[in-house]
Amino acid sequence: MIEIKNVTKKYGSNIALKNVSFKVNDGEIFAFIGHNGAGKTTLIKAIVGIHKFDEGDIIINGKSIKDNPISCKKEMAFVPDNPELYDQMKAIDFINFICDIYEIPQNIREKNIKKYAKMFEIEDKLNDTIESFSHGMKQKIALISALAHDPKILIMDEPFVGLDPKAVFDVKEIMNEMIKEGKTIFFSTHILDVAEKLCSRVAIIKKGELVKVGNMQEIKGDKSLETVFLDLEEM
Amino acid sequence: MKKYISLIKASMTEGMNLFRISTKNKNTFTKFFLPIFLVLMLMGTVYFYSDLLMKELSKVNMEFVLITLFIIFTSIMTLVEGIYKSGNLLFNCKDDNLLLSLPIRRGTVLLIRVFKFYIFELLYNSVFLLPAMIVYAQYTKPSFIYYIVSLVGLLVFPIIPILVASILGTFITFVASKFKGKNFVQTIITVIFLLVILYFSYNLQNFINDIAQNASSINDLITKLYYPAGAFVELILKFNIIKLLEFILVNMVLFVLTILLMSKLYFNINSSSKSIKISKIKKDYKIKTSTPMGALIKKEFSRFINSPVFVTNAGFGLVLFILGTVLLAVKFDSFADMIIQKESTMDLDYIKSCMPVLLFGFICFTSFMTSITSSMISLEGKSFSILKSLPIKPYTIIESKVLTAVIVMIPCILLGDIIVFIRFQFDLFSIILTLLISILLPLIAETLGIIVNLKYPRMDAKNDTEVVKQSMSSSISVFIGMAIIGITIVLLYNALKANISNNTIMLAFLNIYTIIYLVLVLFLHKTCEKSFDNINV
Repeated sequence: MIEIKNVTKKYGSNIALKNVSFKVNDGEIFAFIGHNGAGKTTLIKAIVGIHKFDEGDIIINGKSIKDNPISCKKEMAFVPDNPELYDQMKAIDFINFICDIYEIPQNIREKNIKKYAKMFEIEDKLNDTIESFSHGMKQKIALISALAHDPKILIMDEPFVGLDPKAVFDVKEIMNEMIKEGKTIFFSTHILDVAEKLCSRVAIIKKGELVKVGNMQEIKGDKSLETVFLDLEEM
Repeated sequence: MKKYISLIKASMTEGMNLFRISTKNKNTFTKFFLPIFLVLMLMGTVYFYSDLLMKELSKVNMEFVLITLFIIFTSIMTLVEGIYKSGNLLFNCKDDNLLLSLPIRRGTVLLIRVFKFYIFELLYNSVFLLPAMIVYAQYTKPSFIYYIVSLVGLLVFPIIPILVASILGTFITFVASKFKGKNFVQTIITVIFLLVILYFSYNLQNFINDIAQNASSINDLITKLYYPAGAFVELILKFNIIKLLEFILVNMVLFVLTILLMSKLYFNINSSSKSIKISKIKKDYKIKTSTPMGALIKKEFSRFINSPVFVTNAGFGLVLFILGTVLLAVKFDSFADMIIQKESTMDLDYIKSCMPVLLFGFICFTSFMTSITSSMISLEGKSFSILKSLPIKPYTIIESKVLTAVIVMIPCILLGDIIVFIRFQFDLFSIILTLLISILLPLIAETLGIIVNLKYPRMDAKNDTEVVKQSMSSSISVFIGMAIIGITIVLLYNALKANISNNTIMLAFLNIYTIIYLVLVLFLHKTCEKSFDNINV
């Protein structure tokens, strides 16, 4: 479970997040939507411990990311929007590197790497250096290394950008599989159709402030999520 | 014309801001005063040594030799550094896609990059040339013409070295791009070029003698050795407007011709330098397990060996150290003769007995001039967020960087040590002290380097050269290193003069350096997490 409690983040005098609070429960897929520069990536980076925040707290499965960053990070996996991986490394070495840091035993990593590499049809590319990869292929490597250590919580920033349709389908399948196992998925997206079909709950952020949060049905009512989002943007 | 000005302006504000750092704490002291203070300190040191030299030169009315020495020194420095910097500055930059997609000629992209290279070298050379020019003015009280000629000289001197370096860098990039392991090949060819230059420098005496026999005057000799230096000296001694125009024109024409010639090949070489040759033979991938520290060190090594500019910058000093010790072992008698001729109070046995201290000075110089860690945080670039999101303590990450650097350095230093131990038959105590110093000094240098890089990270560089050679962190590390080397050498010299035994001197230094190391480690422990958090990517 992720609990965001009154989180405020400032960049100098500019407030990037203002008193943001909501919960993401176990076994749920939670979408986080907002226009460009609304504060989505800032919040995601605060959750995964990349950015510090000025006020409030973020609780990951009962532990504060402020006080216990290492044990919180051990429960999570993060897929960034723009996978800036170690270009000079071979893909397999990068995945192994992440698994080593998470101290994943050989048998588990072997099972997971093979499973996801096959699923994303990238098995024959794992011996190539990452610098030779396209954006989508890098995204696949970021996904494999995130999933290889069986995280309890998966956090993704725009995970579908750059992926081919087959990979988008596979990622959605993986997400559904994970929530069946009681895991938590929190992701930001601009693709409102995906959010609408896939997620049980959603939060909408505008200029650093949370404007709506709740069940998909509560939020959109009879309208489409796109209409609700655009209406909120015009307010 | 407006678009070219805009391009140069954009390019300059992006790449040339040496004071640019990527942390939250950008207070005025950190951003401006400290680097300015360090630059002024370096200029002050150059001024001090120029003044010392000038005192001797003025006795024989050869003040202009000082200027000549500095012009040749800065030109060689620009050329040597330029050879391994230029490939990275001119080709395969992160803004390639943007610049090459704009409606401008491809040659313009090259021109902008060479111009950026020139501006940086101009600033760097000025740190050394300006103090020497001031000292010359103080001693000779020249007319205002000297100041105009000096200004022109400052602007013109970097041109020839950067053009030669750019041509060689382009050639190296071109050859390396034909191979699968192009980064490795680029590093090897660069090192070969640098060793060739080193070999020629070593044999410079014979070359100069040959020229001297055919030169009618000292000035003629200088001109024959290096045209810009000779022309400049001629202008400050006997001003002639035609000669001044010729001096400017020769350099300008060379610049324009080189850019025109290089621009014919630029696009092709740039494209092939980007191409990645993938092996057609697909091997099964291996899934291996390591400890977190082992994985971090492996990752650091992979980053290090895949960056030609990083390897050359760090490795060249270490190669020089090994070559220096070999040379010392083989040619010791002729070196000793040279010293004895100048200092008649010394004999062969005395010089031999000073070897432990001399080796210590050499180790100190190599360690502090080989700051690998001062670029390691900055080279993470945007991928720094991967490290920040991992469940591992910042200190462990920092430790892995320092360890990687000393794993590169210590074996090279120990190899040099062993050569000297065998040749000069050190006693056991000296061997132990030297070995301890050989481990301790790289540790201090690299711990210091990482502290500086944590304080002054540059996470948005367009290429590795901007980090390794043109960032605030690497410059500050070099300045601090120079200060430590200077202080150590002065203290060593005075201790030797006071007839303190080698082992006592080394023991005293070992104690001082141990304290410095412990203080640095404590400081790093205390501040590393905060500094790590403050870095924005």
